[in-house]
Amino acid sequence: MFGVYNYDVGCRKVMDKKRIIFHIDANSAYLSWEAVYRLQHGEAVDLREIPSVVGGNQATRHGIVLAKSIPSKKYGVKTGEPLIQARRKCPNLVVVPPRYELYMQCSSAMIDVLKDYSDKIQLFSIDECFLDFTGMDALLGDPLEVAHGIKERIKRELGFTINIGISSNQLLAKMAGQLKKPDMVHTLYPEEMPSKMWVLPVEELYMVGRATAPKLNQMGIYTIGDLAKTNIDLLKYKFKSWGLMLYAYAHGIEDTPVNNDGAVPYIKGIGNSCTIHFDVEDRETAHKVLLSLVETVAMRLRHGGFCCRLVQVSIRTSELASYGHQRKFHVATDCTNEIYAEACRLFDRAWRGEPIRHLGVRVSELCGNDFIQLSMLEESWEKQRLVDRAVDKIRLKHGSYSIFRAGFLHSRLAPMQGGVVEDFPVMTSIL
Amino acid sequence: MKVYMKPIKMIAWFAENGILTPVRYQMNDESRQHITINIDRVIQRDEEKLAGNRMIIFKCQSVIEGTEKVYELKYEIGSCKWFLYKM
Repeated sequence: MFGVYNYDVGCRKVMDKKRIIFHIDANSAYLSWEAVYRLQHGEAVDLREIPSVVGGNQATRHGIVLAKSIPSKKYGVKTGEPLIQARRKCPNLVVVPPRYELYMQCSSAMIDVLKDYSDKIQLFSIDECFLDFTGMDALLGDPLEVAHGIKERIKRELGFTINIGISSNQLLAKMAGQLKKPDMVHTLYPEEMPSKMWVLPVEELYMVGRATAPKLNQMGIYTIGDLAKTNIDLLKYKFKSWGLMLYAYAHGIEDTPVNNDGAVPYIKGIGNSCTIHFDVEDRETAHKVLLSLVETVAMRLRHGGFCCRLVQVSIRTSELASYGHQRKFHVATDCTNEIYAEACRLFDRAWRGEPIRHLGVRVSELCGNDFIQLSMLEESWEKQRLVDRAVDKIRLKHGSYSIFRAGFLHSRLAPMQGGVVEDFPVMTSIL
Repeated sequence: MKVYMKPIKMIAWFAENGILTPVRYQMNDESRQHITINIDRVIQRDEEKLAGNRMIIFKCQSVIEGTEKVYELKYEIGSCKWFLYKM
């Protein structure tokens, strides 16, 4: 997520003009990476040219469309919909299983190529990143030509297509990258906003999602241009600080630097969730699932050097109704057992007894873990925290499953859940 | 040439500078009989890294069942596997 802009919209940024930012995005990443890998291994059919999707495993109830090819789009297949529904729309749909190691490999190969063009690269997700080209034009030439060069080189060397958006800040570069796909380079400098960005529907704007878009539509705001021309006081009244941010974004104002230290984006919260391969009907099993999620969440929390003040538990029932519950800690913590105890309490209070399909745990209100206000009235978790640290070290060295709680033996449940791959490298789990 | 991408057993030779040269390989023919083929000449070697997966492609020449044939072999660096790619 982008950083928060200092909402002084009145003074239009001057420094932005000098920056040149690229947004690089792999086109239908999972699917095209799988397609290229298969072609390399002698498969005659290119998945990108036939109706095909990357889909989860239906047996473990992860059967949704993760990525789709462009021909399957014509049948109305949507990312995130159940595979059964997708097959109904397109009977000869080819479904391939996901292969996360391959995606990591493709992503890092893409970053390696980009490193030839700038030292400032910020990962945004597995298939997207920002590259700060400021000043590099003196060495490498016109940004537009270089962008075309990068696009062609990745297509030739790595075999997949990308979109590049060029502008003076990350927000506009990202908007530019999404203008038209695939295999394109677009510019969206501030002076091009009225013709290229303001004509788009408002839901295309970054950070305007399915909750905000209907509210804006109700106010008569249908395009990004409408939003940009709306009175800022009205937006502030309706949406508070969020409104100011939307207004700034509609004007293309955003000034976070491309941050390449550790390549970890700004984090507001850390959460993991999982769809369980059977319906959970008793409290004990649900607590076990929560524990497996907390194990992952707390490890990520400690790895990032954070403590949290808020825990949230979300429940989705077999009828697909969702609800949740949250509570604040008096004292910030990063201790697995403490978060788990709170998560169980929250679950017990919220759960209405129906069969559960999906559980999630999320922590937020993060702060650094170097200085913590202690409390005399709370239980001391100091010893537990030492154990957590020791366990983390063992897991980092010998793998996630090298040490786990005995309660998970013969339980049909994984001792750590959430995330895409069981043994996912820890650094990337923060992304 | 037709694409086969068949895994094969290989004897290869690694030089001090890291350059690798395939020497002799074994595969099953149509009647599932093992046949051993000596590589007479490596005509060309290329590296590809499609999908970030590094492979070395060798264009080779051998006499197979009395006829001289040109074909391509692939070596996947990540998995150390050899394949008969095209023949």
